[in-house]
Amino acid sequence: MISRRNFIKYSALGSLLPLVPACEQRVLWHPSAFRRKKLSRVAILEAARYDLPLKEVITRGIKLFRLEVKGKRIVLKPNLVEFDPNGVINTNPAVIEAAIDSFRGLGAAEVVVAEGPGHRRDNEYLLTASGMYGVMKAHSVRYVDLNSDDVRPTRLRSSFTSLKHLYLPETLYNADLLVSMPKLKTHHWAGVTLSLKNMFGVVPGLVYGWPKNILHWQGIHNSILDINSSLPIPQFAIVDGIVGMEGNGPLQGQAKESGMLIFGDDLVAVDATAARLMKIEPRKIEYLASAGEFLGNINYDKIEQIGENLERMQRDFRVIEEFKGLKSLEG
Amino acid sequence: MIGAAAKLLMNTQRPDGGWGALPYKSSNTECTSLSVLALDTLKNDHSMGSIKGGLDWLIQRQHAKGSWPLSDTSISASWTTALAIIALSRFPRYQEQMTRATRWLLNQEGRTPGLLARVISVLSPRRTTVVDLDPGLIGWSWVPRTFSWVEPTSYALIALKKVRSSLPGTNIEERVHQGELMIYDRMCEGGGWNYGNSKVFGETLWPYPDVTAVALIALQDRRATQGNQDSLRALRKMMQETDSGLALSWGSICLSVYGQNTSEWKQQIDRRFELTGFLGETKTIALSLIASVNEAMAFRI
Repeated sequence: MISRRNFIKYSALGSLLPLVPACEQRVLWHPSAFRRKKLSRVAILEAARYDLPLKEVITRGIKLFRLEVKGKRIVLKPNLVEFDPNGVINTNPAVIEAAIDSFRGLGAAEVVVAEGPGHRRDNEYLLTASGMYGVMKAHSVRYVDLNSDDVRPTRLRSSFTSLKHLYLPETLYNADLLVSMPKLKTHHWAGVTLSLKNMFGVVPGLVYGWPKNILHWQGIHNSILDINSSLPIPQFAIVDGIVGMEGNGPLQGQAKESGMLIFGDDLVAVDATAARLMKIEPRKIEYLASAGEFLGNINYDKIEQIGENLERMQRDFRVIEEFKGLKSLEG
Repeated sequence: MIGAAAKLLMNTQRPDGGWGALPYKSSNTECTSLSVLALDTLKNDHSMGSIKGGLDWLIQRQHAKGSWPLSDTSISASWTTALAIIALSRFPRYQEQMTRATRWLLNQEGRTPGLLARVISVLSPRRTTVVDLDPGLIGWSWVPRTFSWVEPTSYALIALKKVRSSLPGTNIEERVHQGELMIYDRMCEGGGWNYGNSKVFGETLWPYPDVTAVALIALQDRRATQGNQDSLRALRKMMQETDSGLALSWGSICLSVYGQNTSEWKQQIDRRFELTGFLGETKTIALSLIASVNEAMAFRI
């Protein structure tokens, strides 16, 4: 038996080293990783159910950010981590389907769905059981298994971990825009799992295994930061918050009907807003607090909320006992 | 299906002699090892050239210290070394390469929590159970110097058990014993395995058919134990519920290793191949061929 606290400590041992320079006020990111804007925008759009015409909502969300889509190669990165017929683990296929339609409708040259599930190696099962296979077949969309994609060694632009390099899938290098499409969920290690944590899925399992344990040894928060600071192409986020997950996420929590989609081109701001929508304080999430120093904005006054009113859309997501402290919002 | 899968496999061999995860992907050690094993099951003249190409690919890429890289891009020593040993074990002329690889494998140990972590663990005031496993048991990891997991440990056990008689005077028996303990420790409630965690926060996690089958193959010489029997039952149940080429192929190979009739599962594999083509994944196509033709032989210890 091993306790949660001890497990975190074992896992975090590798993360102690990067913290030492942090204490000395050393900057842990290369200037090329800095992309925080003076002001970020995040859109919250109402979408009550999966059987409604979501294409219109997603097209509207994309247009709000004047994304250059025409002629571009788009990679949609859902959160497809496991399948539980009674659970709400994954990004709903209806949202992916609507995103495929929207990006194609806006003139994208190619749209692919790409994921590298962190637990299961059985893509055929995950895709068919989750309903994703049917969507892709109906729309003739290619699926890329990022776990077994050809890889390219990539120098990390930050050093929260001691890894220095990560192999990343060639698919990312051959695309123009990476769209992170997570589910609005709590997470029993990281507090929340949203568009930044969703990028764990781009790390190839064939190199790093199932689970991608080297990232856990280096510390989940540190790994999220290093991966996101080093992605080779621009990113956009569409968060499936129509039905989220509360409690013991990311796998065994309970469904939480929330009725919204969240959009943005600053993934840190998107995640900070998504956390606030779950009534979770983003500055208390370790990786979000650090990301707010260089990758994007987390402060309320640095994020222009568009679409629906944040306070009106807030839902009280339950968290596990260890994360009760995250629930006090600080404005 | 056998003819179509064999043709597909031979047609998708890369110009360098190896196989990639998909026809247009770069060759890697996992797919090349499984494809060599699969084509070897056919025992026909048509596949001899492909097998030779695959074997040459493997032999040319073995590191001096015995390990294999994943691919020409990811060049560090990798978990796929055990699979390469399993493939080469069908070809006695590669004894020297296998011995070198086995010695490397025996030197690999999954990482355990360090002294500091153990001290912290003892002194920790809060002991809410989160994962139900013994972190001190040593198996094999995906990446050298990280934690032990079920699938790489299973491949290592199959490889070591296949070649154990040719390596007297090593610590092979001790490592096999430790690896078996680790796998049994990670077994899910009611039998079967997932990647290697049976519980999180007191909530039971479910087993996966492919990993369960690989673990059971690794433990085939312990078939009378309760854990094996429970896991065999769990595997059969999962195979009924999990419609995928990978699950059905690994499951069918495993049941065959355990001497059970697999004709029902072979039909399912055929049906699945017609329906999805296994998404074109080389690994699954190779395993389905092994399941359909040779069943147990490639993985029998």
